Amino acid sequence: MKFFEALVVRRRCLRGSSLKLREEMKFFKVQRGGVRRGFICTAMYDNMGGQAGAPKPPFNPQPNPFGNAFSGAGSGLIRGGLGAYGERILGSSSEYVQSNISRYFSDPQYYFQVNDQYVRNKLKVVLFPFLHRGHWTRITEPVGGRLSYKPPVYDINAPDLYIPLMAFGTYVFLTGFSLGLLGKFSPEALTVLFTKGVIVWFIQGLVLKLVLYLLGGAEAPLLDLAAYAGYAFTGMCVAVLGRIVWSYSYYFLLPWTGLCMGMFLVKTMKRVLFAEVRGNDSSRHHYLLLLMALLQFPFFFYLGRAGV
Amino acid sequence: MAKEFNVPPVMFPSGGNPSNIPQQRYRPTAPFQPNPNLPFISFDVPSTSFSAPVFGGNNGIGGMGFEDEPPLLEELGINTPQIWRKTKSILNPFRVNPNLHEDADLSGPFLFIVAFGLFQLLAGKFHFGIILGWVIVAAMFLYVVFNMLAGRNGNLDLYRCVSILGYCMLPMVILSAMSLFLPQGGMLIFGLAGIYVIWSTRVCTRLLVELASCGDEHRGLIAYACFLIYMLFSLLVIF
Repeated sequence: MKFFEALVVRRRCLRGSSLKLREEMKFFKVQRGGVRRGFICTAMYDNMGGQAGAPKPPFNPQPNPFGNAFSGAGSGLIRGGLGAYGERILGSSSEYVQSNISRYFSDPQYYFQVNDQYVRNKLKVVLFPFLHRGHWTRITEPVGGRLSYKPPVYDINAPDLYIPLMAFGTYVFLTGFSLGLLGKFSPEALTVLFTKGVIVWFIQGLVLKLVLYLLGGAEAPLLDLAAYAGYAFTGMCVAVLGRIVWSYSYYFLLPWTGLCMGMFLVKTMKRVLFAEVRGNDSSRHHYLLLLMALLQFPFFFYLGRAGV
Repeated sequence: MAKEFNVPPVMFPSGGNPSNIPQQRYRPTAPFQPNPNLPFISFDVPSTSFSAPVFGGNNGIGGMGFEDEPPLLEELGINTPQIWRKTKSILNPFRVNPNLHEDADLSGPFLFIVAFGLFQLLAGKFHFGIILGWVIVAAMFLYVVFNMLAGRNGNLDLYRCVSILGYCMLPMVILSAMSLFLPQGGMLIFGLAGIYVIWSTRVCTRLLVELASCGDEHRGLIAYACFLIYMLFSLLVIF
């Protein structure tokens, strides 16, 4: 007679090129051995491994059925039973937490596996997405019996964090430089720019997360979303650089880079992240994708205004 | 069924103390008497005036005179000749000696940061706190980026990162000194700033790649991070 059975049902979901293990259901069936018809089950002592040589209770009814539970072999029952119960619960919960951490916060070093050639090609894809002739799907490889995505150095469609970080730094510098040319530069202004940039980056990530949620609860690592949201700063850098060189070019470059960024996000999210979405409401998908692309314009406008 | 246990009786001696333990009485020791053989500091007190304390010879406690003591800077761990050698190595952007920078220190960088702040102060800009804060943030940024790019083999520690970044601030210090004699906002200062930023970037990248292994294939990516950092510092000088 087993007391504690953990039933974990895992379902493999194959959508597009991604193979994911989804934990659908976890529950614990706890069969409590206890007082049955006025006597304590003898099977308890066999399973729990009570104290050696401890006499088993007789089968006749006792006036206080819980009396023996706390003496002799009963203490072994409590120690063993509660110990096993706690161990099973804690073990499963730690596994659950570990799996969620690995799902949402993947290894940060994965996002920095880049080289010069990747950075050049990726910038072309981000700034001129309509010139990208290849596919937009991420490449997978079998690792340890399951499929995982190849790092950015081997896959142009993989997200990285080097370009967003450097683009963000470049945006802060270029906007500070343009402020200096206007005679408004101060170190405090750079701090304000930095803060505004971080806020926009965070909101952009939240928008992507919200769109994924509305499209059927697809899950993507947070660092993936941070990377995709951070690519917006590359377009902003081009727009601000245009403003430094020739002020009127800014009004042409800002909508252009916003359009390119929207197109890049739509192409990427459609083929990469939505591969995991359950459901076939394609019109709803398209509307949400369009909304996400259109939201780039207010973001770009706000970031552009921050430096004036 | 009740079990009976034969418990032996426990006997306590009268008064609660065992009688067989001898009573030890505390004998106070004699007060401290100085040993005349030990060479203590001797004070010759004449009737009129005090004289300076005379230290004993080399065979006792006060064996080392003031002449034999190391200099204060050396005792504090500030190696001025080494700082000067490191500074000279950075002044030549085409031939940097990374071996000199193996032993990281913060004295040289602190000196350069203070000098940078002083030159900015002479230009009418009070930037001491800003410079110090930016250096720390920049060092942390570079530390994270470098170690992430290098992967599992990244062996650059934060202390060395601050040291290298601080030493490579020397061209920025020279730029801030030169900006005192140049017209503000002119094309000349922009050109000079570009040259000095490239100088700082080149030296910093070279030192980072040479000292911390596994960074050679990412030289360009590390160089861009360094370039951004020194460009931000140049903004303080230019505007």
